[in-house]
Amino acid sequence: MIEVNNLTKQYGQHKAVDNISFKVEKGEILGFLGPNGAGKSTTMNIITGYISATEGTVKVDGFDILEQPGEVKKRIGYLPELPPLYMDMTVEEYLTFVCNIKKVSVHKQKEMLGKVMNAVKITDMRKRLIKNLSKGYKQRVGLAQAMIGEPQVLILDEPTVGLDPKQIIEIRNVIKSLGKDHTIILSSHILSEVSAVCDRVLIINKGKIAAIDTPENLAKRLSQTNKMLLRIKGSKDNVLKVVKEINSIKTAEVTGSREAGTVDIIVEGKEDIDIREDLYYAFKAADYPILMMKSMDLTLEEIFLQVTTQEQIIEQETADNFDDNDSQQKEDGEDVSDNK
Amino acid sequence: MLAIINKELRSYFASATGYIFMSFFLLISGIFFSITNLLGQNPLYNNVLSSITFIFLFVVPMLTMRLISEETRQKTDQLLLTSPLKVSDIVLGKYFAALLLFLLTLLITVLYPIILSFYGNVAVGEVLGGYIGFFLLGAAFISVGLFISSLTENQVISAVVTVITLLVLWIMDGIIMGLPTDRKSSIVVVGILVIAIAALLYYSTKNIYISAGAIIIGAIAMVLLYVSNPAIYDGIILKLFQWFSLMERYQSFSFGIFDISSVVYFITFSFAFIFLTIQTIEKRRWS
Repeated sequence: MIEVNNLTKQYGQHKAVDNISFKVEKGEILGFLGPNGAGKSTTMNIITGYISATEGTVKVDGFDILEQPGEVKKRIGYLPELPPLYMDMTVEEYLTFVCNIKKVSVHKQKEMLGKVMNAVKITDMRKRLIKNLSKGYKQRVGLAQAMIGEPQVLILDEPTVGLDPKQIIEIRNVIKSLGKDHTIILSSHILSEVSAVCDRVLIINKGKIAAIDTPENLAKRLSQTNKMLLRIKGSKDNVLKVVKEINSIKTAEVTGSREAGTVDIIVEGKEDIDIREDLYYAFKAADYPILMMKSMDLTLEEIFLQVTTQEQIIEQETADNFDDNDSQQKEDGEDVSDNK
Repeated sequence: MLAIINKELRSYFASATGYIFMSFFLLISGIFFSITNLLGQNPLYNNVLSSITFIFLFVVPMLTMRLISEETRQKTDQLLLTSPLKVSDIVLGKYFAALLLFLLTLLITVLYPIILSFYGNVAVGEVLGGYIGFFLLGAAFISVGLFISSLTENQVISAVVTVITLLVLWIMDGIIMGLPTDRKSSIVVVGILVIAIAALLYYSTKNIYISAGAIIIGAIAMVLLYVSNPAIYDGIILKLFQWFSLMERYQSFSFGIFDISSVVYFITFSFAFIFLTIQTIEKRRWS
C-alpha cells in the first residue's frame, strides 16, 4: 500500500532522513519509534506530500507523490504533530470545512460527520469553539479530521500526546479498530503503545532505520534468555560458591543486596542452555531459598535504547531498575511530551 | 476553492477584521463624499474616489496580513497542503475572499452617486469607469499584500511590510521624477538586475552553473543590444519603475477614460503577485 524507497531529506548540511526504505502492506499498522529529532515527522510529512524529499520516491497505492499528488492525497488522512485546527471555528464547522476541501459530496457530509464524531466521541462537543476545548479533545478533533473522506491510509503523528491515561486507552482502541480496514502509520515515543497497537515497529534514529520487525521478534532477537537475575537468601560468599559449582554457568556477578540477608546475583549460562533447573537443584541442595528468579528478557524500552544508543545496558542493569521498570517507562513518556 | 473562499469570508466576520475594514472604509468614503460632493456642491463623484485611494494603505494590510502568515504560524497549512487541493486553489481562494469583501464594501458606496443623482445628472459612464479603476487598483494592492503575507509567519511584520510597500508604490510617480535617464546609469541598473536574477537563481537552485550561465547570457544580451541599438538603454530605468506606477494608470480611469490596456495591466500585475505567492509556498516545501 505504501512504498518508500531510498528516501532522503537534506536541510543544508544536515540529513534529517537518510536513505530510508520500507513497505507497509494493506491493513497493517506500522509504528514509528525514535527519539526526538530522529526524522519521524519529516518522513511522515514527505509521505503526505507536505514537504518534498531531496531524493527517493514515495508511492501510495501505486501512485507517486510527486507525479500524482492529487491521487495520493485523496487516499491519505493525516494527523500532524500539532493538530491543524482553526481556533475560531466550532467543531462542526471545522469538520464541515474539512469535508469540503476533501471533496466529500454535500449529501454525504452529514453522515460522514456523524460517523467520525462518534468514532472519537466528540459528538457532544460539536457546537463548541475549538479554542475552548481541552488538549485531549483538540487531539480527537484532529483525529476526526484525518478520518474524514474515508482515506485508505491514515498517518498519525503522535496521536496520543497530551491525553490522559483513560483517553490514551480510548484512542488506542479507536486506532486498533480503524486498523481493520485502514493502513496506518503512527509515530510514538511511548513504547508500550507501539507494542500494544502495531503489527510492526520501525525504529528510526538519526534519520536512519535502526530496526524494523514485529514487536515480538524485536524482543526475541535481542533478548538473552540464558541470563537470569536471582535473589537468594544467604551470604554473598556462600551463594557465589554454590554458583561456581554449577557446570552450565559461564559468569556470575553479584549486584548487591536489596533485602536484609539476601543477595542479588546475575548469572549467565553457557550458550543455549536452560540454566533454570540447574539453579534450582543447586540452591536446593545447598539449602539457600530462591526468593526471585527472573529472566533478563529485554523489554521494548531496552531494545529501543539498545538499538538507538548501541549500549549494552544489560551490564549496567541493577535490581532497582527492574523493580521500577513501569514507573520509569511512564517518566520516559512524560519527559518526551514535555519536550514538545 | 469555494471552500477556501467560504472559510476566509467566515473568518473575516468571526473576528473583528471584517467589521473594522468595512466600517473604516465606509466612514472615510462617507466623510469625503459629504465634504466634496454634498457640502462642496461638487457634481464630480470621481474626485471622491481619487481622494480616498490613500485608505488602501490602511485597509489592504487589514485584509491580507493574516491570510497566509497565520496558516503557517498555526500549522494549519499542513491540513490545506496535504488535502487534495492544489496550492493555486488555496492562494486564489484566499485572494478572491479578500477581493469579495472589498467588492462588497465598494458596492455599498454606490449609494453615494445614487444620492447625487437626486440633485442632477450623474455621468454614469464616468462613475462606472472610476469604480472599475478603483476596484482594479484595490485588487492589485491586495495581491501585493497577499504575497507579503506568504513571506512571513508574523502578522505584524506582514502588515508593516505591506504598508511600506504600498507606500512606495503610492509615491512611485514622485520617485520616477528623480531617477536618472542617461544611458550609462541605465546600463549599470540593467547589469545589477542581471546579477540579481542570477543570485536569485542560485538561491533557489543552489546550482552555480545555472546562475553563471544566466550572468553570461545576460551580459551577451546586454552587449548585443548596445551594439545593435544603443538608444534602447535611454530611460530604461524610467520604464522599469513605471511598470510599478499603479497610481498613474489609475488616474486615467478617474478622468473617465476607459483604457483596456490599463485593465489588462492591473490584471497582469495582480496575477504576477499571485503567481509569486504560489511559488513562495511551493518553494518552502522544497527547501
